[in-house]
Amino acid sequence: MRQHVDDKEGPAISASENPYADNWALFRRGLLDGFSLPAFMVAASMIGYGALVHSAGLSLAFGVVSTLGIWGLPGQVALIEYMLLGAPLVSMLIGVSLANMRFLPMSMSLAPLFRGSKSGWRLRYLWVQFMSVNTWVGLLRRVPELSPDQRGPFYAGFSTICMIAGAGGVSAGYLMAEAMPFYVTVTLVFLNPIYFAFVFAAMRARAGLLAFAAGAVAGPPMYMLTPEWSLPLAGILAGSVGYFADRFLKGRA
Amino acid sequence: MTGEVTGMTTAYIWALLGMAIAVTYLWRGLGTTIVAGLDPDSPALQWVACVAYGLLSALISRIIFLPVGVLENTELVDRVGATVFGFVMFFLFRKHIGIGTLSAAGAFGVMVWARSQGFI
Repeated sequence: MRQHVDDKEGPAISASENPYADNWALFRRGLLDGFSLPAFMVAASMIGYGALVHSAGLSLAFGVVSTLGIWGLPGQVALIEYMLLGAPLVSMLIGVSLANMRFLPMSMSLAPLFRGSKSGWRLRYLWVQFMSVNTWVGLLRRVPELSPDQRGPFYAGFSTICMIAGAGGVSAGYLMAEAMPFYVTVTLVFLNPIYFAFVFAAMRARAGLLAFAAGAVAGPPMYMLTPEWSLPLAGILAGSVGYFADRFLKGRA
Repeated sequence: MTGEVTGMTTAYIWALLGMAIAVTYLWRGLGTTIVAGLDPDSPALQWVACVAYGLLSALISRIIFLPVGVLENTELVDRVGATVFGFVMFFLFRKHIGIGTLSAAGAFGVMVWARSQGFI
């Protein structure tokens, strides 16, 4: 969905000026893109999660496997909070699942990007497991300049560096948990949501920006109304506001 | 949230984690299946992408205004003030994501620290 990230149509890259020699070059491009800022943000956020795992008396292995397996911080945190509360199994699974419900619209946006590539499309059920807000946005930014066949290797590289950073971060946080003062822990927990706020605020597409602004306004009151269902409801409301407001403005322009 | 997980065997904890991974993957797999026949540039999928942005933004805003967990022990004015400061820096530096993020997180850390030292 390139117009949501970048409205400018990039020049078509012909085979002769294509800077990526092979899949390995694309994989390296993905690694480098991830290394520029996203991997550090993942690592820093997961340090906070590692400290939480430690304080809950769980093992480091649990921290690493839950990070790479769930691969979505709100769901990971929800799991630990429910375990601490000793909540009933069904309510816990619903809670974890809802906390990560964003993966539904995100995978619907990500998977079609691999259509047109035989190998990329075949692996789509694997690609969506690697998907986080970071890797999703990281791929969307490069979509205009990458052909469908080039997206898989690039995305694999970007995801690899983010997952290494995640596993490293959670381990570091777990091992340093007792030495970290309160202000460091809360700053690391604060870092993740605030980083994504700026990632989205930097988008060029008007529809996405309008949805982002509407979501920021709708989020807290919707949560007070219905904590369990606030996210899907606020998402549908804010997304519709953004989408239709953009169409309305386009119609008037 | 403090305290430790009690009353669960190691095997039960790992089984829980397995189920948590499965219910999370459900969304990923479901989205991939639903979308199989749709054109990525179709209006329906553009709307879905907007829903994803709106949902994430609602989540971020909820964490800043009504946090649960460890952020509950921080002050609203610190969280909102740091966010506003971050956005000012973000726009001053032509929408630089890194500067915005580090300004907001830095301001937040300094305010929480200053409070713990009794400066504020």
